[in-house]
Amino acid sequence: MQEIIEKLHQDALAQLAEAATLEAVEAVRVDALGRKGKLAEISKQFGRLAPEERARLGKLLNTAKQELESNIDSRIAALESAALDKRLESEWIDLTTPAPGIRPGSLHPVTQVQKELEELFRSMGFAVLDGPEVESEYYNFDALNIPGDHPARDMQDTFWLKDGRLLRTHTSPVQVRGLETLKPPLKMIAPGRVFRNEEVDASHEHTFYQLEGMMVDRDVSVAHLIYFMKTFLSAIFKRDVTVRLRPGFFPFVEPGFELDIQCLICGGKGCPVCKQSGWVELCPCGLVHPAVLRYGGADPEEWSGFAFGLGLTRLAMMRYGIDDIRLFTGGDLRFLKQF
Amino acid sequence: MKFSYNWLREMVDGLDTSASELERLMTIKTAECEGVEEVGAALADASEAIVVAMETMGASHNRKATVETPRYGQKTVVCGAPNCRVGMRTVYLPVGKKIIEGIESDGMLASAAELGIGRDHSGIVELHEPFKLIADHVIEVDNKSLTHRPDLWGHYGMAREVAAITGNKLVDPVRAELPSSDAPIKVTVEDFALCPRYSALVFENVTIQPSPLWLQYRLEAIGLNPISNIVDVTNFVMAELAQPMHAFDADKLHGGEIIVRTARNGEKFAALNGESYELDSSNLVIADKAGAVALAGVIGGAVSAISDSTTRIVLESACFNASSVRKTSSKIKLRTDASMRFEKSQDPANTIRGLKRALQLLQEVSPGIRVAGGVVDAYRPQPAPAPIALNLDWLDRKIGKAVPAVEVRKILESLEFRVEETGPREFRVHVPSWRATKDVTIKDDLAEEVGRMIGYGTITPTAPLAPARVPPANEERAFHHRVRETAASQGFSEIYNYSFISEDRARAFGFDPAELVQVANPIAADQNLLRPTLLAGVWKSIVDNTRNFDSFRLFEIGREIHKDREIPHFTAAIFAKDDGMAGLLELKRLADCLLRGIRVEPAAAQSYEHPQRAGDVYFGDTRIGRLFEFHPRMVESGRAAVLDLDLPLLQKSQPPVARYQALRRFPTSAFDITVVGEARATIGAVQSAIPRSSGILSIDFLREFELPDGRRSLSFRITAGASDRTLSSEEVGAIRASAIEALTRSGYESRS
Repeated sequence: MQEIIEKLHQDALAQLAEAATLEAVEAVRVDALGRKGKLAEISKQFGRLAPEERARLGKLLNTAKQELESNIDSRIAALESAALDKRLESEWIDLTTPAPGIRPGSLHPVTQVQKELEELFRSMGFAVLDGPEVESEYYNFDALNIPGDHPARDMQDTFWLKDGRLLRTHTSPVQVRGLETLKPPLKMIAPGRVFRNEEVDASHEHTFYQLEGMMVDRDVSVAHLIYFMKTFLSAIFKRDVTVRLRPGFFPFVEPGFELDIQCLICGGKGCPVCKQSGWVELCPCGLVHPAVLRYGGADPEEWSGFAFGLGLTRLAMMRYGIDDIRLFTGGDLRFLKQF
Repeated sequence: MKFSYNWLREMVDGLDTSASELERLMTIKTAECEGVEEVGAALADASEAIVVAMETMGASHNRKATVETPRYGQKTVVCGAPNCRVGMRTVYLPVGKKIIEGIESDGMLASAAELGIGRDHSGIVELHEPFKLIADHVIEVDNKSLTHRPDLWGHYGMAREVAAITGNKLVDPVRAELPSSDAPIKVTVEDFALCPRYSALVFENVTIQPSPLWLQYRLEAIGLNPISNIVDVTNFVMAELAQPMHAFDADKLHGGEIIVRTARNGEKFAALNGESYELDSSNLVIADKAGAVALAGVIGGAVSAISDSTTRIVLESACFNASSVRKTSSKIKLRTDASMRFEKSQDPANTIRGLKRALQLLQEVSPGIRVAGGVVDAYRPQPAPAPIALNLDWLDRKIGKAVPAVEVRKILESLEFRVEETGPREFRVHVPSWRATKDVTIKDDLAEEVGRMIGYGTITPTAPLAPARVPPANEERAFHHRVRETAASQGFSEIYNYSFISEDRARAFGFDPAELVQVANPIAADQNLLRPTLLAGVWKSIVDNTRNFDSFRLFEIGREIHKDREIPHFTAAIFAKDDGMAGLLELKRLADCLLRGIRVEPAAAQSYEHPQRAGDVYFGDTRIGRLFEFHPRMVESGRAAVLDLDLPLLQKSQPPVARYQALRRFPTSAFDITVVGEARATIGAVQSAIPRSSGILSIDFLREFELPDGRRSLSFRITAGASDRTLSSEEVGAIRASAIEALTRSGYESRS
């Protein structure tokens, strides 16, 4: 009987090895291990055996059953796995297919430069202020030490409004507004839209963007101004820049400067961008004029400060290599989608 | 303002700095230079020449001339100049040999224009004096950077700067003395505030003729047009000393008196530029008995102008009030070399210097000229400018560098400030008259003088010692940036539009131009209003971009400008060539992304809106904007949906920080209902017709269906639940019944 058990066991294992489908595996299982299967039939004959013999063969039979069941399970798992692999094989997707739906839009290049500068200045402790685009003559001129008959008014062609107000010609009015609201000591910037009554061409616009900056504290000096300008210009251009101050006249600063940076294209050797001078004029700046401090309610004997004006539109032109200023306000998506 | 390098060198003793280096130094220490140009380059090779023989060349207007030159020997040239004659002294240029009409011409005889010393090209130069002209360089300085420096509108002022920069000695060109006998004319200044000083000299036996070449060359080099000896001298003195002058033909003045007065209202004035001006009492004039003969500080009159027959002149050297000149000049829209100088506040002390210098020059350019009598000089004595107390410790703190007292003194004195030491590290500084009119009045101005002369490049950048502070937040700006990011992430591209719109455009968008802010001096007649809405600009951007794109999304953040305030708005648009529905709903979704919980309520359309596709955007009871499609008449090639939001209202409506609510512990129940309403029954109206109080948690729209009779069938899924138990089927049934009842009451027909 032992031989029969072993033969049945071996036969079943051989059939299992040949079973290529789950149905075939099930047939082997039913044939060998089913209630009326061959191994069950064998066990019915155990009743006639001596107890020791019955125990021995019973153990043998159980071992055979367990081995067979285990083999059946792994055969099923292998077949299922193969079937899954086969199905997945047919589920290939071309991942280079363009994604459906709307593409991301874009932020205006001036917005991007402005936002970056706002974050930069905030990180250095500067408050970000806003001022009105329609400004009073007082804030745009008088409070900046530019009285009515001052020839400096000709330096900026002004859009006057019929009600006597004007469109701000610079962001500088926010200097006095900032002094009034924040009170010294203060550090502030004011980015925004400004207007000049100028004919428009590739390098002139009547509408453009500036960023005003001011620090007022005790004993602020030219040395401090140079330090700040150099520090944040290096951050803006993401490299160490060399700056140079030279005299410049702006009634709301004294002394007043034009700040040049060493040409980033040629490194100061001279090239067409810097007109062979090695320097590129970047922004006007200076120490806040005592009259402006007084207009803003600060005592110039107690407080002093520096101020500067950066051309945001100009910075955006430099950064992206834009050669026509009219594109900024042209609303042409062929241009704007590039950023 | 153009500066002649040779001219500056005459007044700076021993100046050996090259023109280009000087340009650099002037830029760093004084005023912005815009470049150096060489003039009269041809002079380097030119030689004086005498015409020794001439032959005609058949019918040609050209003639063959033989000239003797000290530098190149005898030469034969073909010359077409009508004034060429034997015995004439002229200038030869060795420009090489070429055959002209069969004759070999070796070089040429030159006109003033060909030499670069004048504009005359009607004939060759005739020399009356030894030929000593040399090439020059012209340094151009940006006028804006001279706005505050009346003294730098003349070469002598710049020569003073150059001398201070290089350490050379300044040489004053003014040497003549004025006769002190009685003046032959009388001058009456009605208001010394408008004319602080009026000085004049009368000359007789005047000869009007062209100026000598050197004088013409000087003027030509700096861009002034040589006219005649007298006029050229006035321009020369102006360019040298910054003192504008004017010469009247003395025989054309009526009466022996010059009156400086304001013009009568309506007074007519014929200027020497050929224009006629109608004046008013804001204009200052120089008048004789018969009327205005010059517009003070701006332009002379036609009647009394110098002509070829002039033999006596009144030479005016005056100082006029800057603001008055500026007003007159901008009112009649005429800026002259004189007005540009006067409006910078010229030095009254300079008028006499101008006359002295002119006297010297006139004697040279008009042989036989005589001064008639003495100088007339009307002025009100001015108080000396107050000295400025300068504490040197303050100065060091201002500049951020310790500058030795001896150096401060040296710098100020080189610029002709007078320095007194009044105590330890205390100076009292006296400002020279030419800097005192407006430019230098406070110690900060002196800090600039010292700073620029030591060179700002010598100052070490230093971090300020200030306490660190967290700057106050700008919530509004941060919010705008968030809105921008949201829009851009959903496919919208940011545009910027101008703040100006036309009256037609304003009307098209429902505004009365009279109610808008108007520009007094618009850049163009159709940009005379400030935008009360962003819609006009966005509309134009949509139309423009339809030429290049079949579909696009754009937005703008900008300020609406109203008479009483500026309101930042967010305006977004979607254009597509479809039925327009998707664009409107996408914009509604964008609005919901910006502010969860907005709703749109249909509203009557404006004329520029699609009559059936316009609604107000609400948050709670606040109307925060508008959602609509442009009227197809306005955007013809497709559909353009627009969302326009008031940013301050949008920001104010942002929900407060969320409060946590316990998660629901008991299951909810859902059931669907379908109602039929009129053809234009809205989903929103159905949703709001169902009362929310009876355990209903949400009412979600499922689908719609149009019935054959045109009515609208709408299906919703209602979810109900309670926080403390699972609702029984009886309770759910009651909720359903009451919802249907409410809908029926509102006129809907239930279909479930």
